[in-house]
Amino acid sequence: MLAYAAKRIGLGAVQVLAVAVLAFALVELLPGDAAVALAGDQPDPDNIERIREQMHLDEPALARLGDWLAGIATGDFGASLVSGRPVAGLLVTALEPTLILAGLTLILLLPLSIGLGVAAARRRGRWPDRLITTFTVGLYSVPEFALAVLLVSVFAIGLAWLPPTAVGVPSLLSEPAVLVLPLLVLLARPICSIARLVRAGMIEALDSEYVAHVRRAGVSERRVVLAHALPNAVTPATAQIARTADWLLGGVIVVESVFVIPGLGTALVDAVNARDLPVVQGIAVAFGATTVLVNLAADLVAFRLAPRLEVAR
Amino acid sequence: MSPEPDLPESGRRGLDPDDLSHPPGTLDTRGAHNATHPTPGATSPRKRRTVLAPLVSGALESRHTRPSDRRNSLPERIALAALLALPLGIALVGPFLPVPERDRTQPFDPAAPWPGTDYLGTSVLNGVLDGGWGIVVTAAAATASAFLVGLPIGLIAAATRRRWIDELLMRPFDLLLALPSLLLMLLLASIAPPTAWMLVLIVALVNLPDIARIVRAAALETAHGPAVEAMWLQGESWWRTSIGHIARSILPTVAADAGVRLVGAFYLVAAASFLGVGAGPEASDWAVMVDVNRGGIFLSPWGVVLPAALLVALAVGLNLLFDRLLARKAAA
Repeated sequence: MLAYAAKRIGLGAVQVLAVAVLAFALVELLPGDAAVALAGDQPDPDNIERIREQMHLDEPALARLGDWLAGIATGDFGASLVSGRPVAGLLVTALEPTLILAGLTLILLLPLSIGLGVAAARRRGRWPDRLITTFTVGLYSVPEFALAVLLVSVFAIGLAWLPPTAVGVPSLLSEPAVLVLPLLVLLARPICSIARLVRAGMIEALDSEYVAHVRRAGVSERRVVLAHALPNAVTPATAQIARTADWLLGGVIVVESVFVIPGLGTALVDAVNARDLPVVQGIAVAFGATTVLVNLAADLVAFRLAPRLEVAR
Repeated sequence: MSPEPDLPESGRRGLDPDDLSHPPGTLDTRGAHNATHPTPGATSPRKRRTVLAPLVSGALESRHTRPSDRRNSLPERIALAALLALPLGIALVGPFLPVPERDRTQPFDPAAPWPGTDYLGTSVLNGVLDGGWGIVVTAAAATASAFLVGLPIGLIAAATRRRWIDELLMRPFDLLLALPSLLLMLLLASIAPPTAWMLVLIVALVNLPDIARIVRAAALETAHGPAVEAMWLQGESWWRTSIGHIARSILPTVAADAGVRLVGAFYLVAAASFLGVGAGPEASDWAVMVDVNRGGIFLSPWGVVLPAALLVALAVGLNLLFDRLLARKAAA
C-alpha cells in the first residue's frame, strides 16, 4: 500500500506541475507579440506597454516560468489584466458558490445514483428497470445548458415554481430555492453513469453463488441486498465517482453561466472572453489541481478496497 | 464521455456462451434458455416469468439463464426513430429548405407568428432550420480527425516492442486527462483564433487521449498474443503484422467506441458554442441561439426552447441508438 501510494502521489505531483507549466505555456503559444495579442480591442501603445510590464514579458521565458512556479507555491498568481486585482483574491471570492454547488451535488449524488441502480437491478427487465435504464442511457451526455434552459422555461417561467436565475441573491445557502434547478442539471450526467455501473454490478452480484448461498441460509432479502450484494456492486463505481469530479468542474462552468452564479466558472468564462490570461491561468491551475487530488484520493480508496487491482493504468 | 461504463457490461455479455448461440430480445429465446438449463426447484420453467429467474433463491444456473437486458419493442423503435429523425432531419435538410422571407420586426416580438422572433428581430424558424448543420458537421469532423490521429498512436504504442516508445506516446495523455475536458477546451480557445476549423481541431484534441488509450488497450491483447508472436518469428513485415492483423482485430471495439466519441464531441461542440468560444460571432447554431436569445425568454420563449429541445432530442436519440447498437453487437 505504501509503495503504491508513494508512486501514485508522485504521479499526482507531476500532473499538477504539468498543469501549471501548460497554463504558463498559454502565453507563449499566443501568436505574435503576446502583449499586442492580449491588448486585443485596445491596441494603444500605453496599454500594450502596461501589459508587457505587468507580465514581465520582456524577460526570458525560462525566468518567467521560474517566477510563475515560485509564485504558485506561495499562493501568488499575479494580477488580473482587466481589474488589476490579485488573482488569488479573485479565486477566493469566487470559490464559495462553486464549492457549495459541487459539494451539494456530491452529497446528493451517491445515495440517489446507488438507489436508482439498485432499484433497477432488483426489478430487472420489468418496467421500472426499463424506465430507469432508458433515462440513464438517454440523459448520459445531454448538453447541460440545453437541459438547464428547458428546466428553466418549464419550472421557472411556465409554472413559476422556482426562480430562473440567482441574480440578486447574496448567498446561495440563504435561498435554497435558487439551488434546486442548478443541482438538478449538475446531477443529471453523473447520476446516469454511476447508476448504470451500480445496476450492472448489482446484477452481477445478485446472480453470484455467494448471494444464492446467503439466500439459502435464510437471510432476509433486505440484508442480502444491502449487506452482501451492495458492497461488491459499488466497487466498480468508485473509479467512475472520481471521473465525476471532472464532469462536475466542467458542468459547473456551464451551470454557473446559465443561472448567473458568480463562481469560478463564471470567472473563467469572463476571463477567457476578455483574454485576461493571468486569471485564466490561475483558475486552470486551481481546477487542474482539484481534479488531480480527487483522482488521487479515489485511486487510493479503490486500491484499499481491492488491492490486487492495479488502478493506475 | 468515458466509455468505461460500457465496456465491462458489454464485455461480459459478449463472453456469455448462451448469448452467443441465441440472439436475445425475444421471449421465446428465453424460454429456450430455460429449457436447456432447467433450474432446480422450479416447477415448470415455462410458467415462471423467466425474467425473474435470477432472483429465485437457489437458482445456481441463473448466471447462464441471464436474460438480455433490453428488448426492442416496436413502439420503442418508433419513438427512437422519431427522436433522432426530427433533429437530424432539420439539421441536415433545414439549410436547403426554402423559407418565406419575412421582414425583420422588433426583437422578441410577442405578436409575430409562431415561433416568434429572436434578439435581432428575424424569425426563430430561420435560425432553427439553419442552426443544426454546423453542430452536427463539426462534431462529426472532430470525431473523424481524432480517430485519424488517435488510432495510429494507440496502435503503435500497443504493437511496439520497445517500452520507451509506448511510454513516450502515452504518458503525455495522462497529463492531458488531468484537466477537465471543458476546461481544456476553454484554455485552448482562449488563445486560438475563433474559426470553425479551430473548433474541430480543439474538440479532436480533447478527445484524443481517450481514443488513444482505448485503441492501445484493445490492441494490447492481440499484439502480445500467440498469433502475432508467430508472425513475428516467421519474419512477417511490421506493416503486415500491425495493420493486417492487429488493426483488423480491434475494428469492432473501435466501431463501438466511435459512437460514444461522436456523442461526446457533440456535447463539447454544443457547450463551446454556448459559451461563445470557438465559433465566430457571426455563427448562429442552435447552441448560440440558446445563448443569445436567453435575455428574451420571458417575452418569446420559443427562441430558446426550440433549439434547446432539438439539442436534447438529438443527444438522447444518439445515446439510445449507440447503446442499442452496442448491446446488439456484444450479443451477436
